Amino acid sequence: MLKSFFPMDRDEAFALAFLVAFSVFSFLPLWRSQELAGMAVFGWLMAALMVLSPALALFVFGRRGRLRKR
Amino acid sequence: MLVERTLVLLYFAACIGIGIAASRRVRGSGDEYWVAGRRVGTWVNAMAIMATLASGGSIIGVMGLAYSQGIPATLALFAGAVVGFPLASLLVARELRNFGRYTVTDFLAFRYPSQIVRTLVPILIVVAFTIYIVAQLKAAGITAETLLGIPFEHALTLATLVFVIYVSFGGMVAVTWTDVFQGVLMLVVVLGTGLWFLWEVGTPIELMRRATAAAPELGRVEHRPVASYLGYFAIWATAIPVIPHIVMRVFTARDAHGARLSLNLAMLAYSALILAAVFLIVPVGKLAFPDLADADQVFLKVMQSKFPAAVRGMAVAAVLAAVMSTTDALLLACSSSISHDLLGNVLREKASQRTIDAVRVGTAWGIGLLALYWAYSPPELISQFYTAGVGLLSGSLFVPVIAGLWWKKANRIGGVLALVTGALTYVLVHFQILPIGLAPILVSLAASALAMAAGGLLGTPESREMIEAIEKLHAP
Repeated sequence: MLKSFFPMDRDEAFALAFLVAFSVFSFLPLWRSQELAGMAVFGWLMAALMVLSPALALFVFGRRGRLRKR
Repeated sequence: MLVERTLVLLYFAACIGIGIAASRRVRGSGDEYWVAGRRVGTWVNAMAIMATLASGGSIIGVMGLAYSQGIPATLALFAGAVVGFPLASLLVARELRNFGRYTVTDFLAFRYPSQIVRTLVPILIVVAFTIYIVAQLKAAGITAETLLGIPFEHALTLATLVFVIYVSFGGMVAVTWTDVFQGVLMLVVVLGTGLWFLWEVGTPIELMRRATAAAPELGRVEHRPVASYLGYFAIWATAIPVIPHIVMRVFTARDAHGARLSLNLAMLAYSALILAAVFLIVPVGKLAFPDLADADQVFLKVMQSKFPAAVRGMAVAAVLAAVMSTTDALLLACSSSISHDLLGNVLREKASQRTIDAVRVGTAWGIGLLALYWAYSPPELISQFYTAGVGLLSGSLFVPVIAGLWWKKANRIGGVLALVTGALTYVLVHFQILPIGLAPILVSLAASALAMAAGGLLGTPESREMIEAIEKLHAP
């Protein structure tokens, strides 16, 4: 099955899986009613996703760039 | 009004000046005109990408939505686009940059050589983006009318002429330079305003506590079920990796690594812009103006009540900058769809360089004026139409592009089937001809993936040459 796909770097595959998993987790109905500092946890999770997703990708590409330079 | 109008006129003059300066560099070169010579640095590209994504909706719209429907629901809509950029950088940026052409149509027509792909993709892009441009022009007209006291039609005409001039003559070089200028302006105004309020109050948490104590609906999800936002989230998350005005930015980067970094740096800046707007400016607006009839006025009201004329002038320029930095990229993508994707082969074989240059400029003017004419009396639901337009592009292009880059069994018949099925399903479900109780984007992506799988598994396997060519695109 996996042979049908072009291979992906392990760190990048992990980042991709994390992004999908975090997005699915954030949309669970549970987070609608729970509140933190006056706002639904769903909102905080969305805000965290907006910062975490590009930061994680930058970390992965930055690490890859440093490894390549060595 | 004099200070505000002078600042806006200076801003317009700067944009035209940049366009004229860029026109000298791009004349006679497709590489310079469409992809700025493929040598845009990481930081410049990041700022240009941020400005391209941040439309009028990212300043006026985001605050209006947070004011009326609460912060969590608003963030759900905008987080989709932010997640789309890391996805783009992981799934398509390196490969498309290594491919080294001009447009997403170039890649699809190479991967699935077929007249249907070569014709249908540019038509879908032109239809979706013309609607998008009209929606943006409407936002520019309303803003200028409200804050500068200029009649809607005059404001619309002036803004359109300015960006058509610099796009048509300066191509991607002018779009990049103006986008950087516009992006900086947006960040300075929104982050500056947010930081000013932060300095006055203390911490964002304190500001949120005060605002949600006075208006608890600001922090709740009570207007629509979360599931209804999943569709919008999915549209933007899957559109970004394939939407032409963003993909063109990948082609302008110096190399694949630079393209990937710039996409994510852009999103950090964009997230800062959106989060400052909803966590710092909207709470102040909600406390000061709790009962606005038109929620979209909240940013403008805050600026009018708290800041002097010079800052207000910068705020108007920032809103116009947000509109124009998106519209110019859309116009260039539309223009490339016609003069490069549809007419490119004919022009390259039969026309002189001078004629090719004239067709590029003429196409940009044609689309710009058509959009202007439509924007004089836009349909009321135009802003919903443009999200649907983006959904149509995403539903039809996402699977063929991603499978074409990553699935070895993706073949010509699968690509054509996925493209046509995705587009058709999206239209049928969106207009409820096919009444399925799910977001059109989710249905069309699933249908497109099934069509790709059927074509790939049952059709003729792809040639060894094609597999090797795609393998080379994955090289670091």
